Amino acid sequence: MLPRTMSRWSPETRERARRILARYPEKRSAVMPLLYLAAAEDGHLTPEGMEEVARWVGLTPAQVQSVASFYTMYKRERTGRYLVSCCTSISCMLLGADEVLAAVEDEAGVPAGETDDEGVITVEHVECIGACGGAPALQVNYELVEGVTPDTARELIRWLRSASPEAVHTDEMQELFGTRRSFDWAVPERVGAVGPFPAFEPYGTTDGNP
Amino acid sequence: MSDHVTVTIDGRKLEVPAGELLIEAAQEHGTYIPRFCWHPRMKPVGMCRMCLVELETPRGPAIVTACTTPVSDGMVVHTRNETVQRMQEGVLEFLLINHPLDCPVCDRGGECPLQDHVMAYGPGESRFVEEKRHFEKPIPISELVLLDRERCILCARCTRFSEEISGDPLIEFTDRGNGVHIATFPDLPFSSYFSGNTVQICPVGALTATAYRFRARPWDLEAVESTCMHCTAGDRINLQASHNEVVRILGVDVEPTNQGWLSDRCRFGFQYVGSPDRLTVPLIRDAEQGHTEVTWSEALDLAATRIGEVLAGSGGQSVAVLGGARLTNEDAYALSKFARVVLGTNHVDAQMDDGLDPQFLAATVDRALISDLDSAKAILVWGPDLKEEHPTLYLRVRRAAQELGAALVVVHPRRTGLDDRATHKLTYRPGEGADLLTELVAGSGRASQARQALAEGPVVGLVGRTGYGEDPRLAEAVAAFVRTLPDARILPLARRANIYGALDMGLAPTLLPGRVSVGGEGARSIAEAWGGLAEHPGLDTRGILEAAAAGDIEVLFLVGADPLRDVPDGALARRALERVPFVVAIDQFLTDSSRLADVVFCADGFAEKEGTVTNLEGRVQKVNRIVPGPGQTRPDWSILDDLARRLGVELGFGSAEAISKEIADVAPAYRGVTWDRLDWEERDGIVVPDGGEAPLRFVPADTPGTRAGGDLVLHLARVMYDDGVTVRHSPSLAGLAPGAAVHLHPDDAARLGLASAETARVVTEQGEATLPIRLDDTLHRGVVYVPFNQPGMPPLGPGPAVTVTPA
Ligand code: SF4
Ligand code: FES
Ligand code: FES
Repeated sequence: MLPRTMSRWSPETRERARRILARYPEKRSAVMPLLYLAAAEDGHLTPEGMEEVARWVGLTPAQVQSVASFYTMYKRERTGRYLVSCCTSISCMLLGADEVLAAVEDEAGVPAGETDDEGVITVEHVECIGACGGAPALQVNYELVEGVTPDTARELIRWLRSASPEAVHTDEMQELFGTRRSFDWAVPERVGAVGPFPAFEPYGTTDGNP
Repeated sequence: MSDHVTVTIDGRKLEVPAGELLIEAAQEHGTYIPRFCWHPRMKPVGMCRMCLVELETPRGPAIVTACTTPVSDGMVVHTRNETVQRMQEGVLEFLLINHPLDCPVCDRGGECPLQDHVMAYGPGESRFVEEKRHFEKPIPISELVLLDRERCILCARCTRFSEEISGDPLIEFTDRGNGVHIATFPDLPFSSYFSGNTVQICPVGALTATAYRFRARPWDLEAVESTCMHCTAGDRINLQASHNEVVRILGVDVEPTNQGWLSDRCRFGFQYVGSPDRLTVPLIRDAEQGHTEVTWSEALDLAATRIGEVLAGSGGQSVAVLGGARLTNEDAYALSKFARVVLGTNHVDAQMDDGLDPQFLAATVDRALISDLDSAKAILVWGPDLKEEHPTLYLRVRRAAQELGAALVVVHPRRTGLDDRATHKLTYRPGEGADLLTELVAGSGRASQARQALAEGPVVGLVGRTGYGEDPRLAEAVAAFVRTLPDARILPLARRANIYGALDMGLAPTLLPGRVSVGGEGARSIAEAWGGLAEHPGLDTRGILEAAAAGDIEVLFLVGADPLRDVPDGALARRALERVPFVVAIDQFLTDSSRLADVVFCADGFAEKEGTVTNLEGRVQKVNRIVPGPGQTRPDWSILDDLARRLGVELGFGSAEAISKEIADVAPAYRGVTWDRLDWEERDGIVVPDGGEAPLRFVPADTPGTRAGGDLVLHLARVMYDDGVTVRHSPSLAGLAPGAAVHLHPDDAARLGLASAETARVVTEQGEATLPIRLDDTLHRGVVYVPFNQPGMPPLGPGPAVTVTPA
């Protein structure tokens, strides 16, 4: 079994972890929110982060890895400041997603699944992101842009590099790079590529503090 | 019959127990439903879909998995109609999309459930032409097990085993989805004591054992059922050999003992049998040349002459016999009779200073069966760490606590493998067990909740010595306490091989065959049958070694015994062996001790002879022969028979089976135990009646306690992999010993100025060693834990007083 080593987490993160654990009658139920904490702590989900979560919830690291590796949104590799997720599912594909993805890869200088050397942009292709009405669609740090073309996608990447926005917002990006829009997308949220995840606020991952 | 329901399976109306799973109910009535993921000892998951059957329901036919569907009254089931056949074909065609057809080079080929099912239920041809999945192959998931991910059919048997049965879930499905595969965490291998079981239950060749990989094909194997002789649970095994070499051991699923499981030590620890280091000829030592090879008659003549001289001079009092726990009952009986009748001595001990009273181990009253654990309401484990010393018993206790709802109280000086399942865990310093027992008896102090947990019966107490620093009488006092609990039964714990059989055959200073006390009632009839008995009081191992070191023992027999490594006080053993003028060893290897012997007889060992063994319940089972012994080895009984004849006594042993008949005649507890019954109608063994002539001596009221002087106490305890002969000579296991180390609580380490030190000097009354430090915050404060007999470790002695200083 694992040696009981000291926590690597900051006191604040540990306090947050304690509060998350307190929400569940079974410790192991807290594995997912704690994985977000671990990812936010290290910039992505590291083996050390998974071991730490395992100790908190009383599972083995192998079991935690099993959960973490099921979800693509737990990034287990270094992820750039901006995560560009291009949808390649059927609606988007029919309306030119492959060209959009190729343009993004070319402009970013990395193939899907990888991060540029500067650590600014990570490109990935994803399954349907629920924006079929505005296909082809992509997301930057999970903020949606609909109706992109290969050209506007290139502009988007250049803009991310040059303007280096503190936080990206759907409305702003849609204005600049989008065309068709399926419907109005909620309130802007201030998120990074690996969290915090406002959608998980009820589970305590953001600590009321997105 | 309200607890039964009527179901119709393939047109046959059957009465089956209510609530049973369809797959089981069908099988009990001769209808085999194919399966991969379902395993009778684990919970169903319905992963593989191989067991699909069709039910007739009011809403029309329904397809269900037979492994997750309980029978219900009036159920009508089809297991082989056209729909089902088409589904079976479909499932198999899908499984073969990715499964490689490398059967000719796969260890499983010839005994592979997937191969068999494809032949029996498959479509015969695949429509898939796409490329199969590829992985690096094979990858080690532990020192003993390799994983070929391409072959895996994702049945989750191995992962469920590790979680449900062995309790160390270090393998899991990873990258669930199209790329799903079994994986360990990086740098955290599946180093389970039970990893080999996953190889046995994997329905394909995805998991293979390094010890067996590419060694044989199933159709080349000879096999015989036997009993494992590593620990004392008496696990049923299937012993398999190819070309006169043992190549594999599988667990046999029997209800009374191991339920199919084995520890890796039992599964892979057979390799020593075929070791090139085995003794193959008798040896004689002379001062100049060391050991030289001789003929059997030369060796026997020399031994007989020297023994004869000593017997004529100072008599049986100055002759002693150590060892015998590795023998079968037949050989142990022969040794017991040889010692009492030919050597005229009661200085006989198979328990290499493990310290427990032989009467307590062999003659416990209210002795439990292993299966009593399944129905226990509460279980008390106050003894060795079961995971280290009684691995399959550990699985059974774990299951009782985890799946069957028993309350589990564990008492031990440090963490044990059962702690995560214990409802109450108490730690203490060796030597202070008596105080804790007093609290437990009174239900006071920190033991009050544990006491409450033991209030409802049936209770099973597993009682033994936690380590060598513990007063051995404590275990008896604990057992006496257990007897006061409601509906209580006791399993006395000792760990060496056939120790219970050896004690039952009288390999103890105070016991004669059949648990008859030396000097007791029954001794007279044994004296009559044997034509004489030794008269003087016998010494136990410690007494024998002390007498030998003082020069009072002139001939010492070591029978499969290596006191230099195997008794806690190794330094005393060395003084003894160096002082005894004539040492006779009967052994399979030249051990540190037999290297000092004047005559060494080479003996047959496990898998090379037939006989019986007795487990910790008192269950007598057969061990069987599958290979011949190497070179000129002989069975122990026949060596002793020849030696006796040269000393003018006819022991009359014709064969091991003849000896078993003599045991049944002479040893009261063994009446009616015959090889015939064990081979045929009683394959799961015969449990001989419990009890003996002498009751427990110690009760909680007068609990003893040896207190160490200083503030530190040594906890010297055995672990699964040590430097004993069987592990050392089994290449697969030899590297697994954790290594010599001293474990300290971080607080103690800080107090001793060792917080950042790498090594420490550990000194007891009997020895000293410089050992690497391991910090362990599960230790009770003041306890210094050292695993016993690790490679390269000098004898430290049992303590219990110990000092630890910077090296
Ligand atoms: S390795 Fe074997 S036992 Fe484990 S999931 Fe794969 S097929 Fe099943
Ligand atoms: S297919 Fe792209 S958003 Fe649905
Ligand atoms: S055996 Fe029933 S689904 Fe696998």
